[in-house]
This record gives sequence, structure tokens and C-alpha cells, in this order.
Amino acid sequence: MRRAVGTVVAAVALLTASPPVRLSGQDSQFGIRGLGTPGRWESVRARSTGGAFGPFDGLSPLMEAQLADVAQLTATAAGGTSHRDAEVSGTTTALRATRFPVMGVAGPVGRRFVVAAGFTTYLDKSWDVTLRDSLPLRGVVRPYTDEITSDGSVTDVRLAAASRLSRRIAIGAAVHVLAGSTRMTAERRFDDSTFHPVQQSADVRYDGLGVSGSVLIGLAPGLSIAGWARSDNRLRAKVADTTSAVTDLPLMAGGGLLIVPSASARFAAAAAWRSWSKAGAGAFDTWSWSAGAEFGSRRMPIRLGVRGGQVPFGPGPKAPTEVAGSLGTGRAFAQGRAFVDLGLERLERRGGGLTERVWTVLVGLTVRP
Amino acid sequence: MTRRRLALVGAVLLVAACVERFTAPGHCPDFCPSGQITIVDTLLTTSINRDSAYRGYVLAYQTPLMLAAHLPGATGILDSRPIFRINGVGSRLVLSTTDTGAIRGADSARLQVRIVRRDTATHNLWLHLYQLRLPIDTSTTFGSVVPFTDSLRSVNIDTLLAQPGRKDPVTGDSVVVDTVNHHLVLSLKLDAAAARYVGTDSGTVAYGIRIAADTLASIAFGKGTFGPVLQWYLRVDSLGKDVARNPAVLGAAFAGFVFAPPPAPLDSTLAVGGVPSAHSLLRVAFPKFIRDSSQIIRGTLFLVPAVPARGAPADSFVIEARTVFADFGGKSPIDPRLGEAVVIHPEKRDTVKIEVTNLLQLWAADSTHPTVLMLRPQLEAQFLGEIRFYPSIAPLVRPTLQVTFVRPFRFGVP
Repeated sequence: MRRAVGTVVAAVALLTASPPVRLSGQDSQFGIRGLGTPGRWESVRARSTGGAFGPFDGLSPLMEAQLADVAQLTATAAGGTSHRDAEVSGTTTALRATRFPVMGVAGPVGRRFVVAAGFTTYLDKSWDVTLRDSLPLRGVVRPYTDEITSDGSVTDVRLAAASRLSRRIAIGAAVHVLAGSTRMTAERRFDDSTFHPVQQSADVRYDGLGVSGSVLIGLAPGLSIAGWARSDNRLRAKVADTTSAVTDLPLMAGGGLLIVPSASARFAAAAAWRSWSKAGAGAFDTWSWSAGAEFGSRRMPIRLGVRGGQVPFGPGPKAPTEVAGSLGTGRAFAQGRAFVDLGLERLERRGGGLTERVWTVLVGLTVRP
Repeated sequence: MTRRRLALVGAVLLVAACVERFTAPGHCPDFCPSGQITIVDTLLTTSINRDSAYRGYVLAYQTPLMLAAHLPGATGILDSRPIFRINGVGSRLVLSTTDTGAIRGADSARLQVRIVRRDTATHNLWLHLYQLRLPIDTSTTFGSVVPFTDSLRSVNIDTLLAQPGRKDPVTGDSVVVDTVNHHLVLSLKLDAAAARYVGTDSGTVAYGIRIAADTLASIAFGKGTFGPVLQWYLRVDSLGKDVARNPAVLGAAFAGFVFAPPPAPLDSTLAVGGVPSAHSLLRVAFPKFIRDSSQIIRGTLFLVPAVPARGAPADSFVIEARTVFADFGGKSPIDPRLGEAVVIHPEKRDTVKIEVTNLLQLWAADSTHPTVLMLRPQLEAQFLGEIRFYPSIAPLVRPTLQVTFVRPFRFGVP
């Protein structure tokens, strides 16, 4: 018991004590020119299986229907540190970020309903770009260095409810409030110091609304399917109370399949479609898929997964692609009241001459008091 | 043990998690933000108006220097001469706590003057010391004392500097080089004929200095803390017998300089510098579109000299542009916080450029601040040099302002 408490305390410290506390997902250079980098609405458990278990994991905010199987009050949080190499035109830049993409709490209300609240990353908008160039000014070509940064994200605050209609069917729905801000700065430093540095900054605030619904059907013992859909209206960006941009947000739909042939083996697959092309030029509709497995007891399972698909923002006529492999494990403590999940993901994104390779270490903590 | 291992793993992960690194080279346009920093450079040719010049801010006797010059110029020789008065100790001197004695005269005296600025390229520099008729004061003019007639001493500074120990064994003169302040401390011995202690004048004496050199001669003497001072060596009557007494060293009760020709009267040009010092005021119609919605990264004031700057070639002087707290014309209180300076080289007629970025940024940040530029010499009345610029009524050569600014960045636009 004492050991379990110590482990939980260490995990809590790991999740909350890091200074750059951003409730955001995983960055990508592909998101700089677009709206940002979409978040992954998955717990560490689901993400360690490539996301395939997302539709069936009660603590993943991808769907709502699976919440119906949450039997008691449960809180979860996830953190991840990414080491990213961005390679373009033969130049590789090493980048690093720490994110806390999922936090949530769920619990039964009455006998038929389970409600959940929490937040996850909708769009990550943290990046920092430096640029070396020159321009003719006062009759002389003046070299300069630009640095444009964005720090922040759009968060999806979700209030969800689910109910099991029968042994085989559960349904769920949620409302989503999109909120967040980015601190943006634009700096230019001329080599000629008679030109003062340019430094402009602004806080950009974002808002939007969405609704989602989902269904989980048990076709047979050990065989379930899930389906979900979501619609968000638009993302409004405001600078100093003035609307600077309004961008349509995508419709999304997806489904999954779960096969549980035995108590120690679980297999899942999932797919999703998102109409990101509504966001404007340089945005593409995307398909994504995933497949994963979980072996062993629930107290200490081994998880594996792969996923692939498209990235919604990028240069050129085709959407960039991504593929990832992941593995992970978990450990139950305190008589099953606390779970620590660990995951490791290797991701590669390609498109428009850019290749990103990412290692992500994930830590999740789930508590059932 | 397990807890320790977990703590160790946790600590390692925590340290690893603490490091953020986002900065990446931009590969534009594909992987750069759509917004760009937009620079605009504009020449405001008609924004400066209602400009005028004012003289009389600092007068010759108010400066911390006494200027000496002998400079041929377009309008004749610029002749500037230090004059100073040293009050004496009176007609009697205290001999003891109970006795005073009449001062019978001076055996000698030693006058110390300090040259605080000189052109080392000037050779064969002569200093001629004259005694002047009393009184001299702040109202003394060049015409009232010149020509100097009562010559006391002449010293060749270069010759004295070349002497062993920088001391002339014949005249008793010496010079000390103050390497810290780059001053020359000149000590002149006045013999009995030159050291005239006149009891009816209470021992007050007035001196004038004229300089000459092979080339353009222009130097500055210190005053106040930096001289001049006089040491008397007196003969005092003590019960019918002369005794020697050395009273305390005396400083100048008045020190200034007179010069001719005087600066030309102010006209429509924008005069800056000279003695008495002149300022010029430029009112700027600062465009609202720059002031309200952009960041100024460079502002340059262009001024075209109407005539070559007056002064000795070696006496480059600095003028500065400042802004004012309120526009009261020539009496506008100057804002001391920010100033932009430029060196003026006499006899040159190049367009003068003053970077006024900080001043324009101040105007942009504080819309209540008067958009007025005041041009003034950085060291008021410490140089004879003066420059005059074309005013705004001269269409082709009027003062202009070139402003480089940045348009607001379009934040929040994907």
C-alpha cells in the first residue's frame, strides 16, 4: 500500500510539476501554416495501442458511449514528452516539448447515466520559427533575422453523458466548448543596429462550439463495434476583442472494432474521417486508421499498436501522411484504485519536403478513489 | 527499494520533461506562418513646419570654459580672448593676531591657468598675457578691452613643453601635463614689473589672454575649479620694515571671454550653437497613421546647411535633437530623457543626418507629447562653432524626416 502511494505520488509529480504546463497535444511544423496540429483524444492506454482502443476506452475523450461502462468515479490525466526531429532541405532541427493532452473525470449519476467532464487538446498552436533574409531599405540591402512564435493551444472542454440502453447497446453524447489562447510574437532584428528591433506581440483568443454523439454495440460476447460523429461550428480568433479570423471546423466520423478472444488478449481497430478541407486553403480532408492489441491481465498489460493516416495541413496538392508505432504497459496499485500507464510512440510524418520523426514518452495516471 | 527506483525514474523523466525547445529554422513559404513583418519606409518632406531659431540660452561668462581663438574666416579673423579678474586681499595684510601692515607692493606673482582643450596639431602656439584696465565684468565687450596694450608676458607652449622637466629656468615658467584629464597646467611667473599690486584697487587685477600659432589657433581654458589662480608674493610694512608675506592663492572673481566678430544676427535659417548659444525649434506634423498603428524602427532627420559650419576645423562640436515637454517657442522646457546627437565638422556643408528614432518612438507611445524637435549644442557656448540649416520655407532644401516603421502584424490569421 505504501509503495503504491509512493508510486502514485511520483506519477502525480511527474504529471503536474513540469514548468511548461501546456494543456496541448503534439506539435508539428505542418501546423504552422494551418490552424495548428490536431490533438489526439486518447488516454495513454489507447495511445499505446495506436489509438485503436480509443473508441472502447472509457477514459479516452474520443467518444462518449464507452463511458457507460465506467462503474465508479474515475479521474485521469496524461502527460507526454516529445523529442522531434524536423528534416527539411537536408537540415535537421531537434525540437522538444512536454504536453498534458488529456485530463478528465467521469462517474455514474444515478443508475443509468454516467457523466464526464474534462479537457483535451483540439489544436496545438505552439511553434517558433526563425528566418534569415534581407530586404532593400534606404537604398541598401539590409540582412535581418525574424523570429515568429506562437505559444498556446485550443482546448476542447467536454461535458459528456452516456447510458447503457441494454446489455448490448450504449449511447453517449457530448457538448464541446473550444477555448484557448496563444501568445504570439513577431520579432525582427536587423544586422544594422541603427534600425531598432521590431517586436510586436498579441494574445489571440479562440472560441468555438461542437456536439458529438456515439454508439457502442456488443454484437456478440467478445465482439463490439463503435461509431461516433462530431460537428464543430467554427473557430473564431480574436485579438483585443476584434475578430481577426473565422475558420470553419470539420465534421468528423469514425468507428472501431473490438475483439476479446480471451481474458488475456484484446484486439482493436479503428478508423476516422475528418473534413478539415473546410478550414480553407492548404487544408485537406483526412482519413486515419489504427490497430492495436493488449495482452495480459488488466493489472499489468502489454500494449502494442500501429496507426497511419493523413495530416490535415501542409503545402502542396496532397495531404502529408503519418505513420506511427507504439507500445506501452500499465500497472495497477492500491487494490486497483490507481493505475499508472506508460507508453512509447515513434511517429513519422512526411509531406511537402518535410519529414518529422518523433519519439514520445507518455505517462498516464488514473485514480478511482 | 522499488520506491527508490521509481523516484529515480521519476526524477530523470522530470528533468527531461523540463526542457522545451521550439525554435526551428523557417522554410518559407511552406512551413512559415502566413503573416509577415511588413516594413515601410517613407520620407516626410512636408511634415516639418513653423520652425525658428532662438539665441541667448548660455552666454560667454556662463560657460565653464574660456575660449581663445585666432581663426581666419570668410568674414575676417575670428578673434576670441579670455579675460578674467582676480580680486586682491586689500591694502593691508594681517601680520599677526594683533597687527596688520600696509601692503607695499609685490615682489612677484605666479599665475596658473589650465588649458583644457587644444588641437595637438597646432604648432608654435603662443600665449600672450596682458593686464587689463579695471573694471571688467559680465558687461565687458570685445570693443571695450581690445586692443590689449599692456603686455605682461608671452610664452611659447611648444617650447615650454620641450624644456627639460617642462620648466623654463630663465623665466621660471613651467607646464604640467595632466594625463588623466588631458589638460596642460601652465604656471607663469610674473616678475616685480609684471606683478603689480595696487593698493588703491585693493590688489584687484584683470588679465587678458591672446593666442597665436602657425596654423589655426583655438584652445579653451578652464575656469572655476580649473583656474585661473594667482599667488602673490607681497612686501608688507611691519613697523617701518618690509617683510615678505604670501597670502592664500586667489581664484578668479570673474572669468569669461570676448570675441569678434559677433555671430551674424538670426534670420530665417535654423541656427544651432555659437556664443551666446542658439537653439532651433522644429514643429513636426507627425502622421497619425504612423503614430497610432505601427512600430517605428528608425527615424532620421535630414538638415541641409545653409552655410558651412563656422568654427575651427579641430573644434568639431556636437549638436543634439531633443523633444520638449511643452511648446512655448524658444522657452519650451526641454525633455532631458532622450536626445540624439551628431558631430558637426566646421567648414563642411554636407547634409546633416540625426537619428531621432527614440524621440519618434516616444511620440508614438505618448500621444500627449508635443511633436516638437529642439536642436541645440550638446555643450552650450563651449565652442565658437555654429551651424545654420535651411528652414522649412526653403522648398527644395527644407528639413525632412525619413521614417521606417512596421505595419501591425496580422496575428491570429491562419
